[in-house]
Amino acid sequence: MTSVAGAGTLRRDDLGWYLYGVVAAGEAPAELGAGVSVDPAHEVELVSEGPLAGVASRVSLQEFDEGMLPERLGDATWLEQKIRAHEQVLERVLRGASVVPCRFCTVYRSEAELRRFLSERREALMAALDRVRGQVEVGVKAFVDLDRFTVDQATRNEDIQELEKRVAAAEGGRAYLERRRLEQLVAAELERLRSVAGGEIHSRLLVAAEDGLPLPPQPAEISGRDGEMLFNGAYLVTADQSPFEQALTSVARDYRDAGIDFELTGPWPPYNFVPVELKAS
Amino acid sequence: MSLTEQHDLRQQVTLLELVDRVLNKGVVLTGDVTLSVADVDLVYIGLRVLLASAATLEERQEAISAGSAQP
Repeated sequence: MTSVAGAGTLRRDDLGWYLYGVVAAGEAPAELGAGVSVDPAHEVELVSEGPLAGVASRVSLQEFDEGMLPERLGDATWLEQKIRAHEQVLERVLRGASVVPCRFCTVYRSEAELRRFLSERREALMAALDRVRGQVEVGVKAFVDLDRFTVDQATRNEDIQELEKRVAAAEGGRAYLERRRLEQLVAAELERLRSVAGGEIHSRLLVAAEDGLPLPPQPAEISGRDGEMLFNGAYLVTADQSPFEQALTSVARDYRDAGIDFELTGPWPPYNFVPVELKAS
Repeated sequence: MSLTEQHDLRQQVTLLELVDRVLNKGVVLTGDVTLSVADVDLVYIGLRVLLASAATLEERQEAISAGSAQP
């Protein structure tokens, strides 16, 4: 197969460097762990350049060629393998060091190009590292259990109680209409909760975090959950997550009766708390 | 749902969470990276692919539960 990229035709054995993330050279873990990398033929290495070190591994440029990527990304098996490898490498590093994670498929054609990046972006990378020093990212999601939500609404809303009685008593077309009205009433209450809960949840969690940002709730077909996602957020917290977990427990307790369940994920490398673009020094 | 199926679903959910971060966030090295995927709508492509595989997983699970429900 011939694959043409910007710099000309690639040979099968051309190697580039895949950059997972950047750490402070002094903090770089001595043990990077063997066996996990995006290209199984090449182990993860540290490429030190001044005060910084790139967590990187050699990759076949044939496999990671820009021209080939759209096709690769259509291959679910390939994509999942590489995404998991990217994350596993960073999670190992995260146990021993603060890390600025790179986006998936950051590939340099040569070690010289990689070193040039580390040196030209030194100040911006150091600033990004300072911001996440000693911190990890966690994810918080809240889901609505519609059955429990409806039951809870009935205990506090007389209109809903009344309608539930009528739905139980009615028959045929009338029962259908009453049920529709009940659904509309519950939907209106849910809409009210949607408009206030996100802000309240976020501000209570933010107090226990270094930083945080609300993210767009994922539609059910992406979240893979039955219940609607009411809230989605990412938080930058100290490696000891217990103060944040306490805050989350308290929020979850207050929303439990309303049928809202919380989910905590992480620790993640701080993907949401590093600048997307870095200025040259 | 069996423990194995729950595990599968759990894995799938984590993968989507992962995709959201690895494909969508993190430092992007436009300008000085020779190979860049910034122009490709990675998130769109990635999610479409993974959604397709998540749907397959769900179908499989339904098939399993339907199968186990029979005497």
